[in-house]
Amino acid sequence: MSKIISVHSFRGGTGKSNTTANIAALLAMDGARVGVVDTDIASPGIHVLFNLDESDMDHSLNDYLWGKCTIEEAAQDVTGHVGTEIKGQIFLIPSSIKAGEIARILREGYDVGLLNDGFRDVIEKMKLDYLMIDTHPGLNEETLLSIAISNALIIIMRPDQQDYQGTAVTVDVAKKLDVPKMLIMVNKTPATWDFNEVRARVEQTYDATVGAVLPHSDEMMMLASSGIFSVQYPDHIVTKGLRNIVDQIK
Amino acid sequence: MGNPLFETALKELQERTEDIRPSDVILFSEPLRSALNFVIRLKRFSLTEFGEQLPFTREEVKQLADLLVKRNLFELSRFATEEEPYYNARLSALTRPLTRPPSDIWKKID
Repeated sequence: MSKIISVHSFRGGTGKSNTTANIAALLAMDGARVGVVDTDIASPGIHVLFNLDESDMDHSLNDYLWGKCTIEEAAQDVTGHVGTEIKGQIFLIPSSIKAGEIARILREGYDVGLLNDGFRDVIEKMKLDYLMIDTHPGLNEETLLSIAISNALIIIMRPDQQDYQGTAVTVDVAKKLDVPKMLIMVNKTPATWDFNEVRARVEQTYDATVGAVLPHSDEMMMLASSGIFSVQYPDHIVTKGLRNIVDQIK
Repeated sequence: MGNPLFETALKELQERTEDIRPSDVILFSEPLRSALNFVIRLKRFSLTEFGEQLPFTREEVKQLADLLVKRNLFELSRFATEEEPYYNARLSALTRPLTRPPSDIWKKID
């Protein structure tokens, strides 16, 4: 049975898109057919990790929401962009990176019910094993919809005071929406910290499972979103942490 | 005397004048909220499956389902028969255009 996995963070800059892309790649390396939807319409970015240029985008999620194409037509096969041999397949549904189109969708709004329909359609028509939703930070009707229909939710936070309160709100909402599997991923943790202590403290604070505590990584910073980290650094501690998350959501 | 849990659920749905949005689901009382969460993930389900999530009689469950159809969270599926109604659950809501005031999502969550 197909699974919908949402990746969310209350604040921006937590590594949400990076995590989504890496988990999608790890699932596809294991042979799965994975769809990735960039619902961060206001500030899209995951296409960069898959080396997808604006010129390669025949259609975007925006086109689907405006009725210009089907959701499958907006899905681009980015398997060959990952940079390693992959047994499965990855399809990306990017959001438009044209300023005018971003402005239009923000100005006019859209019916999130179309996202709901699109998610179901793309799973069925493209025979996906997993659909990963890269959400917009914070909480709004779109993110609540994504959480409500997900089988698993990965909440990303940094060990930062600004993230603590927002993460509590997100965890509370996810509990009210009965998400079957919820994992918190603590990202960008200073390498000198005691990771076991961080894990224990977060689990106690939010009464939720911590899927991984990942260190701040200079290699990740140097890669600068120019590729998929877990492909380029398969033995890195960050990749091992991401692999742990994958094992827990499978 | 009726089932107080059913009376509460019925009242919550009857009092609604607008369609049910994703942010509304988290506000419903139990066991209605959990039952809705369950069928929203199923997407297509029967009245029996919905009823299995609720400690109510079939007639009471049907009464709630009818209200949920009216509020556009459920729609009657083409597989429905007279004996066994089937539904599709479809969450929907308009995102906020810049020309409209913000929704009260934070009031709801607080």
